[in-house]
Amino acid sequence: MASESQANAARKVVVHLRATGDAPILKQSKFKIGGTDKFAKVIDFLRRQLHRETLFVYINSAFSPNPDELVNDLYNNFGFDGKLVVNYASSMAWG
Amino acid sequence: MERDSKKEARNYVWEGAIPLQIHLHQSEVTTLPSPPPALILAPRIGYLPLLVPQVKPFFSSALPPGVDTVWFDYKGLPLKWYIPTGVLFDLLCAEPERPWNLTVHFRGYPANILTPCENEDSVKWSYINSLKEAAYIFHGNCKNVMNMSQADQFELWQSVMNGNLESYLRVSSKLKFGIFGDTFSLRLNSSSVKSRERAELDAAGTVTSGRIPVRLYVWSIQEDFDNLEDAPSFDSWDKISYINRPAEIREEGKCFSLGDAMKMLLPEIFGDKASASGDISKTEVEDYLKLNPEEASNIEGTKVMAESKDVESCNLSKSAEIKLLRIQGIEPKLEIPFTWLANNLMNPDHFLHICVYVKVPELTTI
Repeated sequence: MASESQANAARKVVVHLRATGDAPILKQSKFKIGGTDKFAKVIDFLRRQLHRETLFVYINSAFSPNPDELVNDLYNNFGFDGKLVVNYASSMAWG
Repeated sequence: MERDSKKEARNYVWEGAIPLQIHLHQSEVTTLPSPPPALILAPRIGYLPLLVPQVKPFFSSALPPGVDTVWFDYKGLPLKWYIPTGVLFDLLCAEPERPWNLTVHFRGYPANILTPCENEDSVKWSYINSLKEAAYIFHGNCKNVMNMSQADQFELWQSVMNGNLESYLRVSSKLKFGIFGDTFSLRLNSSSVKSRERAELDAAGTVTSGRIPVRLYVWSIQEDFDNLEDAPSFDSWDKISYINRPAEIREEGKCFSLGDAMKMLLPEIFGDKASASGDISKTEVEDYLKLNPEEASNIEGTKVMAESKDVESCNLSKSAEIKLLRIQGIEPKLEIPFTWLANNLMNPDHFLHICVYVKVPELTTI
């Protein structure tokens, strides 16, 4: 069990970042992130890259997960084709 | 009859409230004598920031000058506002404290621990997104929530804020979450092969989904304790694993119980290799549901646990042991059908929030 949980912890998730609306497009859109990291890390990363305090971040153009949710859980629940699609916008895109 | 009993359970959930005794943090007291604590009844399904309009008048005259950013703490732990109040109470008060003594702060928002909450709109935004997430798990998309009219969305939120179940059911029925089918009871009721087939068809149909949105708050404890009042208290959110995994109802030829769900949801803790890869065999399910009378008599957690001779503290695996499992203030038996819990004890965001204390022999990372 220990080795399994270690493998789980080491697992990386491919996050595909997609700009929505007038949000700037990143040069590199695919990133790997630790599965046990919180979604907050993705949001922080985007804030730093885009130099914006206010940012709306969604999964699959659908909903904003809670920043405390684990990347692993989001990937398992909502990922497909081996990646987790994260959309970002500078204004509210999907109420 | 069944419909009435279902509604009765939901009524209890919606009417459930926690008596709060709210104290102003000492550093923010500028008057002598300091203001008395505020006594407020907080709905279980509500959120702490929604209490601010009620709480503020008690303390506004005592506050130092500045801009208000309200937050609450319990024994020094800042409370995450997006977690329903009832869940916070179930999770943080092992031995329920009534009234629950909380401290309110109007200054010094701990932005490193809590996500910003500006006003009621922040809470509404969080709620609607949680609802969308649940819909996504249930339907594979959240079109029903996204296509809601402004009027319906407003009514839905108002019904949650005011605890109006009638109005909530009226609007939320449009989201077509349906009721999770209990295929086991359907089978029991159907004697002929024909009706049995029909039951299975219904179960596979579009209205009933096999995926139940679940949010788990898991506290893995290494220290052993016999009474819940001896349970160590929280000093950091890092100790709680916040896990979001849907429970997938499986046909096992038997009722899918809470115990089955726990094993499926937390393979890191209760599973072995087979279940960790998402495959639970019949024998394993039967195996861990076996009574362990010695263990059961060791635990005296609550009255219910002590009085019951059942599998209250059944050992899900030889290493890990559930010390406490609480949903909406109730400590359900592990044999209870999971669909009943999902249909009756879910929060208005269509998530079933489960608080679990697990005694683990060694550190397990989730």
